[in-house]
Amino acid sequence: MSAPTGERPRRPSPVASARPQRRPRKPPPQPFTLLGLVGLAAFTLVTAWDWVLGIGFNPIALPGELADSNPAMVEGLFNITDADWRADYAELLRTHFTDPDSPWLLSLDSRIGSGLVETVQIAVLATLVGAAASLPLAVLNSRLGAPNRTTHAVIKTLNNINRAIPDVIWAALFVVLVSVGALPGILALTMFTIGVVVKLTSDVVDGVDLGPVEAARAAGASHAAAMRTALVPQILPSFASFSLYAFELNLRGAAVLGFVGAGGIGQAMNYYWSQLDFEAVSVIIFVYLVLVVIVEQVSISVRRRLV
Amino acid sequence: MIQFESAEVTYPGGVHALQGVDLTIDDGELIVVVGLSGAGKSTLIRAINGLVPLTGGQVTVGERTLPGLGRRELRELRAEVGMIFQAFNLVHRTTVLSNVLMGRLHHVPSWRSLSGLYSPEDREIAMQALELVEVVEKAYVRAGNLSGGQQQRVGIARALAQQPRVLLADEPVASLDPPTSHVVMRYLQQINRELGITTLINLHFLDLARTYADRVIGLREGRLVYDGPAADADEAVFEEIYGRSLTADDVLEAQGGL
Repeated sequence: MSAPTGERPRRPSPVASARPQRRPRKPPPQPFTLLGLVGLAAFTLVTAWDWVLGIGFNPIALPGELADSNPAMVEGLFNITDADWRADYAELLRTHFTDPDSPWLLSLDSRIGSGLVETVQIAVLATLVGAAASLPLAVLNSRLGAPNRTTHAVIKTLNNINRAIPDVIWAALFVVLVSVGALPGILALTMFTIGVVVKLTSDVVDGVDLGPVEAARAAGASHAAAMRTALVPQILPSFASFSLYAFELNLRGAAVLGFVGAGGIGQAMNYYWSQLDFEAVSVIIFVYLVLVVIVEQVSISVRRRLV
Repeated sequence: MIQFESAEVTYPGGVHALQGVDLTIDDGELIVVVGLSGAGKSTLIRAINGLVPLTGGQVTVGERTLPGLGRRELRELRAEVGMIFQAFNLVHRTTVLSNVLMGRLHHVPSWRSLSGLYSPEDREIAMQALELVEVVEKAYVRAGNLSGGQQQRVGIARALAQQPRVLLADEPVASLDPPTSHVVMRYLQQINRELGITTLINLHFLDLARTYADRVIGLREGRLVYDGPAADADEAVFEEIYGRSLTADDVLEAQGGL
């Protein structure tokens, strides 16, 4: 039936007054898109080429620089290709998991063991406190949930400022305010949790079914009661998922905060680093890696069930 | 008694949804509002509970007159007016009972509604409302797991839990199949007869309107074009309201033919 070349067969149109149609040609790319691509390429060249701004990045010299790095550090940290190193490292881990005389034994009252436990404590507490504060704040941070525009604007601005401050800076600030220890770490990661969870959860509010909210208002409910009964149940699964995600981020963040004195495993790592005890640092990294991977896998499997 | 006096609603886009509507509804009446989509049916019933603000004229419900109510008075008015929706408007993730308890929100102190700890009295009212529409055995089932007809009965129970004096239903059967539509309409009729609740129902099927209404109100382009007993609303009247001849789409019994 169909003609392989030439004119398409004309079918009778179901609409009496059908005008002849022509398919449009694909429009050329916007000049703005081209300009953006050229600009991005130019920006990359200027930033990355060492002789322009001189930040010490030279792709050609990089392999040599890596090879010339401090041999003591490299051998202490990672030398996986060397069979002797692997045997030594296994022995190292075995010793420090079993030898009661080891100064950084992985028991709960050693520097590493207590540091790890403290890190988990910091992450758990910061996530709980931060998430609890985040649910009402997420509602207020949305156009639907805020009782008026001023509240919406104020909450949004405050949270934008909060998110602009990195967790390490928050930790340094809280160390100044409440002195060193786990507390500044908890406070810093609480702020971080609020930043992440409020932002992500309030974005979910915009896609929510408005029908139940209308029903609550039609029943004479106050704004707060309408939000609690008609909105919160709809955003709860996403909120729980984001809170667990924040917990994963907090567990990783808690490791770094120790470097500014905010407690946890980072403080132990900082100590051994300053002692130039790279074997101890290496053990910390190894054990911490295992912990983070386990917690993340558990968290991911729970989150998959939530949404 | 509900009284519209030259009520006007003009939406921000410039659409005149209601134009000079004068209407008096006595207590205990069952009124069906008919008209094509866009004729102003939804606007008419939403003007009664203030979900749509009037731009002219006034509506008196009992002893309260719109516009001019404060926030608290408006919520008191809404608590006395139950509403049923085309899309049921249930929270799918929570239980049927939690949904029905939304009807108690006006009567419940804030700490109870925010914590979800409703009093045994409120739970009893909600359970009785569910018994009235015969879905009480689903009280602890997730609302999203119910069929359309069951969801609409839960919607009715939620409105009844308000213990309202007026019931508004906005196309309550438009998302349901014909047999289920009749079930829902019979519940609404029974509630009107037995509890004496003034009931306004938006419909566009003329056979449903004639079967269940005491009185039919016709709207076209925001104007009241018919107001009379259901018995007098024959096909000529509907053609007048719709401004065109009737088709199979206007009759429920002609829908979804086997």
